[in-house]
Amino acid sequence: MRTGAVPAAAYHDVPYTRGGTVERSEVGALVRSAVDGDAAAWKAIVEGLGPLVWSVVRAHRLSDADAHEVYQTVWFRFAQHLGRLREPEKAGSWLASTARHECLKVHRNARRLTLTDDPHLLDRVSEDGTPEQSLLEAEEAAAQSERVRRLWQEFEELGERCRQLLRVLIASPPPSYQEVSAALDIAVGSIGPLRQRCLRRLRARLEARGAA
Amino acid sequence: MSDRDGTNDGTEFDDDFDTGLLEEELRQAAAVLDPLPPALLQSAVDAYALHDLDARVAELTFDSLVDAIPVRGATDAPRMLTFTAGEVTLDVEVTAQGLIGQVLPPRPARIELLGGPHPTAALTADDMGRFTADTAPSGPFALRLRTGDDVVVTEWLRA
Repeated sequence: MRTGAVPAAAYHDVPYTRGGTVERSEVGALVRSAVDGDAAAWKAIVEGLGPLVWSVVRAHRLSDADAHEVYQTVWFRFAQHLGRLREPEKAGSWLASTARHECLKVHRNARRLTLTDDPHLLDRVSEDGTPEQSLLEAEEAAAQSERVRRLWQEFEELGERCRQLLRVLIASPPPSYQEVSAALDIAVGSIGPLRQRCLRRLRARLEARGAA
Repeated sequence: MSDRDGTNDGTEFDDDFDTGLLEEELRQAAAVLDPLPPALLQSAVDAYALHDLDARVAELTFDSLVDAIPVRGATDAPRMLTFTAGEVTLDVEVTAQGLIGQVLPPRPARIELLGGPHPTAALTADDMGRFTADTAPSGPFALRLRTGDDVVVTEWLRA
């Protein structure tokens, strides 16, 4: 195992800007290293693209239990297909599109039994108080935290199409338009204009509430 | 930030700049209010153990959940799955009670039920290739089949 050949930080050193090309080849290199047995490269992929997968799952409004299972299924399948990816540099799009398909499957099967007695699953679902949250509560001014909450509330109440698009776009690091396209099955060319329109709508809602 | 009060029909640059700021603010809000749970991040890191260059992946070629026309009244019909890897076919029926399956062409095999990087049950297929498990998979699952030197793993699915 070649440990450290690709440091975990390598992914973050490259600006993950939209439509660029540098970071795409970086993802491809990380995938190839992971195939060769480099666990650090795998971790860098997970850290770089995990938030995108999470955003896609959250964009589809699943229950927490479904969201957690879909997230895991996507990564298990990615690990399974690692050595067979035809275009390693498009790993982000592969993950986004796989997540989308799994989410749609959940919706199609919405009426199936969702009860579970798997204690591990129940454990997984019961995570709420995140470190970030307590940090925010402890350190941020109440006004600022109130603004964040109001912003989030207005975002949640946007039309479904806008909410979905923005939820994917605000993954951190930000996804490329190719990945957004794979996540939501919309043409790359329509993402920019839709994004503008949705953000303008969100801003209008905030202003209407006197929050801007 | 001073020019956000409704005078947005100015230049496109201002609009782009403004929406860019708003998007970034929303990104920070998501990081606080809807972050990727650390346990899930860790489970994806651990999933590296599932990458196995020697195993063949049996693709899902039929899933009654997706491919079958629902039968009126048959609300709790078992889920039928078919996986295919080259000449090997795996038929699986998942019910609330457990799992019944058959390897085709018929052959004895050792089968592991996976719920993550570690097996959750060890099963055996008889000479006819038939196998059963008396616990139903929950959450993500896959089957790993070993016959002789051949290792076949089914595509990961959710139960």
